Amino acid sequence: MGAQLIGPAVSTSAAATLEWLFRPLSREPGIDREALAGLLVELARNVEPQFGAEPNGVRPIDPRLEQLRNLLVGREIEVLSRLRKVLEDPEQLAIAVGRVLPAAVAQVSSDARLGEVLAPTLEKATQSSIRSDPRTLLNILYPLIVPAIRKSIGETIDETFQSLNESLKHSLTWRGLKWRWEAWRTGVSFAEVVLKHTLVYQVEHVFLIHRHTGLLISHVAAANAVGQDPQLVSSMLVAIQDFVRDSFSGADQQGLDTARLGDLLLWSEPGPFAMLVAVIRGNPPEGLHETLRDVLSRIHDERRHALESFDGDSSGFADLEANLRECVALGQRAQISAKRGFPWFVALVGLVLLALGGLGGWRWWQNEQAWEHAQQLEAGKRRTWDGYVAQLRAEPGIVITEAEQRDGKFVISGLRDPLAIDPQLLLHQAGIDPTSVASLWKSYQGLEPTFVLVRLQRSLDPPPSVTLEVEGDRIVARGSAASTWIDRARVAGRRLPAGGPSLDLSHVHDINEGAIGKLSEAIQSHEIHFNFNQSLPTVGQDAILDQLAKELTDLESLASRLRLTARVMLTGHSDDAGNGTFNLSLSLARAEAVRALLKKRGVDPDLLAVRGAGQLEPLETASSEAARSANRRVSFKVGIEEQQ
Amino acid sequence: MTATLQKKICMLGAFSVGKTSLVKRFVESVFSETYLTTVGVKIDKKTVDLSNLTVSLILWDLAGEDDISSLRMSYLRGSAGYVLVADGTRPSTLEVAMSLRRRVETDFGPLPFVLLLNKNDLREEWAVRDEEVQDLQQSGWWVRSTSARTGEGVDDAFGTLAERVVR
Repeated sequence: MGAQLIGPAVSTSAAATLEWLFRPLSREPGIDREALAGLLVELARNVEPQFGAEPNGVRPIDPRLEQLRNLLVGREIEVLSRLRKVLEDPEQLAIAVGRVLPAAVAQVSSDARLGEVLAPTLEKATQSSIRSDPRTLLNILYPLIVPAIRKSIGETIDETFQSLNESLKHSLTWRGLKWRWEAWRTGVSFAEVVLKHTLVYQVEHVFLIHRHTGLLISHVAAANAVGQDPQLVSSMLVAIQDFVRDSFSGADQQGLDTARLGDLLLWSEPGPFAMLVAVIRGNPPEGLHETLRDVLSRIHDERRHALESFDGDSSGFADLEANLRECVALGQRAQISAKRGFPWFVALVGLVLLALGGLGGWRWWQNEQAWEHAQQLEAGKRRTWDGYVAQLRAEPGIVITEAEQRDGKFVISGLRDPLAIDPQLLLHQAGIDPTSVASLWKSYQGLEPTFVLVRLQRSLDPPPSVTLEVEGDRIVARGSAASTWIDRARVAGRRLPAGGPSLDLSHVHDINEGAIGKLSEAIQSHEIHFNFNQSLPTVGQDAILDQLAKELTDLESLASRLRLTARVMLTGHSDDAGNGTFNLSLSLARAEAVRALLKKRGVDPDLLAVRGAGQLEPLETASSEAARSANRRVSFKVGIEEQQ
Repeated sequence: MTATLQKKICMLGAFSVGKTSLVKRFVESVFSETYLTTVGVKIDKKTVDLSNLTVSLILWDLAGEDDISSLRMSYLRGSAGYVLVADGTRPSTLEVAMSLRRRVETDFGPLPFVLLLNKNDLREEWAVRDEEVQDLQQSGWWVRSTSARTGEGVDDAFGTLAERVVR
């Protein structure tokens, strides 16, 4: 009975089990009554052997059997029916399974199959979770990712510092200077040179591969390098090169010469018969290409023929390993810095710098002193200059339009009256080196009274008896002068420019006025007469001559007193009868005669000058005898001049 | 062990004749089979001990193509010999092998080769007639029937080819 229910549970899959459970029962629940009846009869016979009833007599439907069944398994039937209810109701089943699921999973957690079975589901679940809301997963992973990122960044920064340290370390060492020199010489930046020398890389494998067959000729690996069978690798490399060449037209003769995967770099150098492939870890300098090419070309030079006829037997190429080993030896080694001795070089550089610093400081101090001195000198010069300019500005007849210091030179320009003081002279007086001054003066005529005075004195040439002075806005002339001079001065005064000082002549007296003038007029009023053709005066004129002599002597003494020079011109005249030339000499003789007569009477002959006018200056122009008689005479003309 | 003597051998054959299976079971292989579909070739090595020397056969397993015009012939360059693989249960693959051989002969001249009639464990499905094989053998073909599953004839075949390419 029970076996009938449980039996199919051995079915392999859990799904099938449930399906069977949910399947409606094929028959009505009941029992094989005939079999049961037989069994009961048999039991009765065992108890009572004489029991004669036959099971055949049992009726198909006998309520007592049902009763018996209930008595026997009624309880089980109830349990089973409850179980079935649970199985049929998904909600109840879920609750039931949920109750045991954690324990079930825990039970089989050591079984690898659980992981395999769950993985696809979990993957799908994760994908769908990310699709619906990535933040959920992000939040889950956050505690994992952040430390990882932090660690990675930290390592990168460490590397950067390492690199920086390396650079700094090399900047002051002998090697650093050497690299600087190299950078300068080759024209590349110092950073590149440092990088070139400090790049950390390692050539891990070098393959020498026959190009035609792709077979390996020689291979060398670094001590710590791992890798697959070099024979296979080399063929695969060639295959990949062929692949690239075939796949991308235009790369006929070129293969794949560089490939990078992570920090693993593959460099291939093609040769005529063999190619050299280097597997490099890290960042090699570009110059490594050159090295590889050199090695490859050397191998070709040495073994050209053997390479050409290579048929897969690499036994004859064992010696090439040495060449390849050269390449593998390449790589920037870790800096040997632990056992660095006393950094004597740095110390030396330090000392030199110190010495240079000291020298520099002393020089600086010296310079500072010199500079201060220069500043003082400069200030002194400046002061002198300013004084000069001020003095010049105060000078009449000087108009300064520009005065400044330019390019270490003084520059001064303006207008200058030629009568004004010479700026150059003033420069000397001020003690300024004229070569340090550029002057540009344009002439103009000033109206300053002093200049006007000077100009008047020069143009009028006043006699010593006259003084010219500036009085306020006037120029005043004082003293006495000949009327001619006074006339001239009056004209000049009128010509003076308006706005300037005027010339005041009111205090100048005419020297011909006054006593000397009267005396002169008296002398000039006299005449000495002559008879016809006679050079001596007509008799009876002695009184006049005496009078004349007295007046002339007075004149001389008066002039001397007045610091004047008097001159008396004695002019002899003739009538118009006779020869003109004769008359001329006769008139001169008459003047000479009078002069002699006056000299005899005590007159200084130097006072008297003589001339003959002949018949050219007649007193009377009539042709009568009276007129002729009047014309035969000696006349007197007084000239008063200022003493020279 | 790594022999100093190497020979490049190409594996040629129609699609799914069992080349890769042959290689997979009987040779040193370091590369994944995805190479075949990506690069079109996969390199394997079979070291063969001959009487007086050891030779490394570097096997270029070319991606199987029924259309031989698409075969990358450049991969055959430098080959010392080749292995033609056909499926004994599919006579059409023998046709492909024969045309491949003609193609190689045209491009690279006569090279040592061996024809492997694979899948001989499926004797009841065998479809290549013995007369046909005999004809090929008479015309100088080296034919071996092999089974990638049982390994029958495989070593012998590679040994034979090694002998022929080294000679």
